[in-house]
Amino acid sequence: MAKTYQYCVAENWGKGFIDHVESQKITFVGYPGNVWQVPAYNKHGNLWIAKVAGTVKTKTEAQTIVNAEVQAAQATWDAQTDEEKADPMNTRPADITLEE
Amino acid sequence: MATYLGTHGSKIQNYTTNPDNPNQGEVWYNETANTIRFEGATTAGSWSTGGNLGTARRQMAGAGTSSSAALGFGGYLAPGASSAPSALCESYNGTSWTEVGDLNTARRGLMGSGTQTSALAYGGNAPPTSAKTNSWNGSSWTEVNDLSTARQQGGSAGVDNTSALASGGFTPPSTYQTVVEQWNGTNWAETTDISLGRYGQQGFGIVTSALICGGQGGGTNYYKNTELYNGSNWTEVNDISFERSFGGSAGSDNTSGLIFGGYDDSPTDLRTVKVELWNGTNWTEQADLSPPSGFLGMAGAGTATSAIAFGGEGPSNEMRSATEEWLGAGSPLTKTVSTD
Repeated sequence: MAKTYQYCVAENWGKGFIDHVESQKITFVGYPGNVWQVPAYNKHGNLWIAKVAGTVKTKTEAQTIVNAEVQAAQATWDAQTDEEKADPMNTRPADITLEE
Repeated sequence: MATYLGTHGSKIQNYTTNPDNPNQGEVWYNETANTIRFEGATTAGSWSTGGNLGTARRQMAGAGTSSSAALGFGGYLAPGASSAPSALCESYNGTSWTEVGDLNTARRGLMGSGTQTSALAYGGNAPPTSAKTNSWNGSSWTEVNDLSTARQQGGSAGVDNTSALASGGFTPPSTYQTVVEQWNGTNWAETTDISLGRYGQQGFGIVTSALICGGQGGGTNYYKNTELYNGSNWTEVNDISFERSFGGSAGSDNTSGLIFGGYDDSPTDLRTVKVELWNGTNWTEQADLSPPSGFLGMAGAGTATSAIAFGGEGPSNEMRSATEEWLGAGSPLTKTVSTD
């Protein structure tokens, strides 16, 4: 099955990391661990990965990075007191499943 | 046959990069990128990344008039209610944030309004829940008279440090305020209540033309109601598309504004990247925030056509320093001519 998305790791340096023209041409989704999802087989997506010097990852590799970040955050949350966990603004980080 | 020289009176100019303040329709050659560029306009609103905050945090407040002139202050530095609130204040110039004078009292979940050089910070949680008001004059904060009702995470509006509106909010242990107070530069005075007690709502505008929408009322009372203020009375108007709270907002008055991020309360408190634009009558969905998938407790500043979203909490509860800049439909935008 042809993949819909491709993944890379790139650190958001701020201004210019994603510009308005790129934002209008590509749908970006960011995940924990500086993992970015952009459309596969897409010239604009490829150009953006090159611009940000992104390290291309397979979906499995990207999922491993995201899992590590989420599990670390879950462990931090689990170690909190019951009072802290009861804060409605402090929910336990949910698992994230990347799409093919 | 018409030529560019004939219609514009000049040849296409070469620039090392791009010209300053190009006119709409102007075409030039960028010698660095080796591309032909022109000044066009956006057909739809979009987000781009801006400079990152110096200190990542959530539940900040914001003030400002555009994506290149804003102020972000307060918040807290880690997840969990026991995390210490922050007094930090940073100023944004369209490229980067610079740390400026601290708030007089550190707090999170505070309200803020005004401009980059004349702003007001009010309420919040220090802890305890605070009635304190701090006034910003462009270089430092001064403590001024308190709100009558201490509260946190309410709606805010105001043009500068001489006028502001604080609407609703939460006062522990269980009061979801309907109280609205107006600041005249010296004191707060109670004015007409909102109809629905709530906190975590989005709000924008000025004291004579303001709007609040969404928020929570405790338990499973999640709202998508919108209320408009005309300087005297609140009127309920069209709802936002889903129950949203703790998002960011930007808008100059009750005829135009933008809300973004926060919680989508309609399913089970999912963080959302959705954006809605208010035109004075209806809400319409706009391009999503881009990175990463979900923001909570982010702040905003600006207008419906030029805004920024900053801070908040990401999907693994990490404090975020990212800033996104909003460019509304019809705004000038430099584009590259593509022959591919």
